[in-house]
Amino acid sequence: MKIKVFRWRAIGPLLVLFVIGCLLWWVFADTIARRESQKVGTQMLGARVEIEHLHLDIANGKVLMRGLTVASPHEAFKNLLQADELVADLDVVPLTEKKIIINRIAANGLRFGTPRTTDGRVAAKSGEGIAGRVLAETREWASQFQIPVLQLATGKISIDSLDPRRLSTIPAATALSARADSARHTWQAAYDSLRLGATLDSASAALERLRHARATDLAALNEARQTIDRLKRARDRITMLDRGIKIGIGQLQAGLASLESARQRDYSFARSLLKLPSLDAPEIGAALFAPGAIKPFERVLYYAQLARRYMPPGLLPRATTGPSRARRAGEDVRFPKEHALPAFLVRSAELSFLPERYAGRLTGLTSDPALYGRPTAFRASGPQLVAGALVNHVRSIPVDTAGATVGGITLSAFEIPGVPLRLDPGAATTQLGFTLNGDTIHARFAIRSSNVHWTRDSTLANTTIGDLIWHTVSGISNLDVEARLSGALHKPDLAVRSNLDQAIAAGLRAVLGEQVAAAEKQVRDRVDALINDKVGPVRARVNDVQTQAQAQVAQQRARLDELQKQLEQRLRELTRIRLP
Amino acid sequence: MFALIKLIQSLFGALHSEGTPGQLAAGIVLGSFLGLTPLFNLHNAVVFALLVLLNVSFAGGLLGWALFVPVGFLLDPLFDWIGHGLLLAPSLRGLWTSLYNTPIIPLSNFNNTVVLGSLVFALLLAVPLFFVLRWAVARYRVTVGERVRQSKFYRALTASKVYNVYKVFRP
Repeated sequence: MKIKVFRWRAIGPLLVLFVIGCLLWWVFADTIARRESQKVGTQMLGARVEIEHLHLDIANGKVLMRGLTVASPHEAFKNLLQADELVADLDVVPLTEKKIIINRIAANGLRFGTPRTTDGRVAAKSGEGIAGRVLAETREWASQFQIPVLQLATGKISIDSLDPRRLSTIPAATALSARADSARHTWQAAYDSLRLGATLDSASAALERLRHARATDLAALNEARQTIDRLKRARDRITMLDRGIKIGIGQLQAGLASLESARQRDYSFARSLLKLPSLDAPEIGAALFAPGAIKPFERVLYYAQLARRYMPPGLLPRATTGPSRARRAGEDVRFPKEHALPAFLVRSAELSFLPERYAGRLTGLTSDPALYGRPTAFRASGPQLVAGALVNHVRSIPVDTAGATVGGITLSAFEIPGVPLRLDPGAATTQLGFTLNGDTIHARFAIRSSNVHWTRDSTLANTTIGDLIWHTVSGISNLDVEARLSGALHKPDLAVRSNLDQAIAAGLRAVLGEQVAAAEKQVRDRVDALINDKVGPVRARVNDVQTQAQAQVAQQRARLDELQKQLEQRLRELTRIRLP
Repeated sequence: MFALIKLIQSLFGALHSEGTPGQLAAGIVLGSFLGLTPLFNLHNAVVFALLVLLNVSFAGGLLGWALFVPVGFLLDPLFDWIGHGLLLAPSLRGLWTSLYNTPIIPLSNFNNTVVLGSLVFALLLAVPLFFVLRWAVARYRVTVGERVRQSKFYRALTASKVYNVYKVFRP
């Protein structure tokens, strides 16, 4: 029986199914596109992306989006941005290659930092995906900065218990003592190996024979000469030993000097255990403002690192997390090709902010900068606002720069860390500069305000320091804070200064200077008491070893010299020609 | 429970259908593609069209799909590994780059490690699976098939309404 290969009658139902599929697409395309856009946006940014309405007009290559809200990845109840309307002109043909090429976007009604009612953070909570990893990395990066803590409010000076095991001088002293013993044994062994006793005995015997010899006793004369040679060689050997001993003694003396260095370190360590209010102006600046200053750096770094992950330089295949589904997501690998279109490109975006006097422009936002060949550029301007960014991933070493000056923005009041004072900067001018060149970071953040308002916490009352701090800062109406970050990205240097530093430091020094000095002396005495018991015997031992070794060498050398001298003198007497 | 009964009905219905062992085996093989690979992908539309258009057992296809879905979930780590190895193999980079930049092809999501890994696995499995199934169905029919057909269990099974629905699609 011949079996037919095709089931021709199934074409009808298949076509019907296809038409139903098309109808469903027509009906649900906008919803699907909206949900996918929300999902992809949320996954990429690590914060919830919400779109109220999205309409796809594929025939005309247009996408209309209304009510876009992007939550902040860092703050729970704040939006990163909101946009009333976005209209995008799409290139339709690249869609067949799954490439999204947007020729132009017009974004209207952009607002930043608006409040929201629900927590929009995703990466911060789940820690998953690229955004989650980048967020964790930047948080870890920000946590590396050691910010001194001020205890200005109480001004209390107390000393924690000092654990001798944490002092570096004691193990150093023990090690030096062992080295001294070892040196003594080594030198003694070297000295014994010279066998000077035999040489000296033989020389003494030769001298004795020579004393009874006559000028014609050639054998005795020759023996005396040979003995002198042996004495000279023995002297050379002892000179070499002496040289080695001197080097060793030098090292032991250096060890003694290093004990002093260790003692200084222990003083510093013990001082760090003191709960002292810092009197150093730069430290005061860091303690007061560094926690707040690191945040903007951390956030800008987060976006810069995201850009590096999503917009990597070069044309190598790149793997990113695949779409979330019931099955394993796997990884999507992209294969950029020279002279081909990138997977994603926004050629130009015109941005219009609220209030309407602000405007901006974004160009060249792409997933494959090497294919597009130009950096992504952003600029925005308006009354008291200048902002710009350049994301240059065209070459192998990416360079990301951003800068913004925003004036007249009322910053929210904040608590000064470690001090029960609340600072309301009022309308301030904020500046941010950021450059990440490869793995080198240079960043600056500054706040300037001429109308700051201080509020005093009740716990500050009735303390000398509290009064001091309050009197110092309450009269200051200007605030000028600057934080600078520079160096290798993994370990940059942070410097924070403010116009309050010197004033607070001077005031503190006047009040607490004597107390601090007394506490420091107390700490030094405590360290000395623990260390001196160990260091004193070691010092004596080193000196003893040194004296003993040097004396032994000197004594033997003197005997050798004496014998040689006597032999030579007797030889001269015997060989002198006596004229009648 | 209903799904399980339906599966058993499908299994026995397909085994005792008028289709040849080859038609049934081919149907199950095509169904295995639907089950092994992530469903909503372009290649599965082609597989489904083949299942409908080719004179193979549609019930076998559904059976294969149902049987291989859990296998697919279980083997996802293996598929991911296979796909990762293939997509990142330096020797194949040129091929993938060409395909990735060719219209329509990228819509198949071939550049996803699980999709490619599972598709390659299903393709490699297809031929041996077809021959094994064809032999097994033929053996079943000549050995215990008739006895099962006469059993009360089979008659109860085929008497249900679901079986009547199935009969509409039998080959």
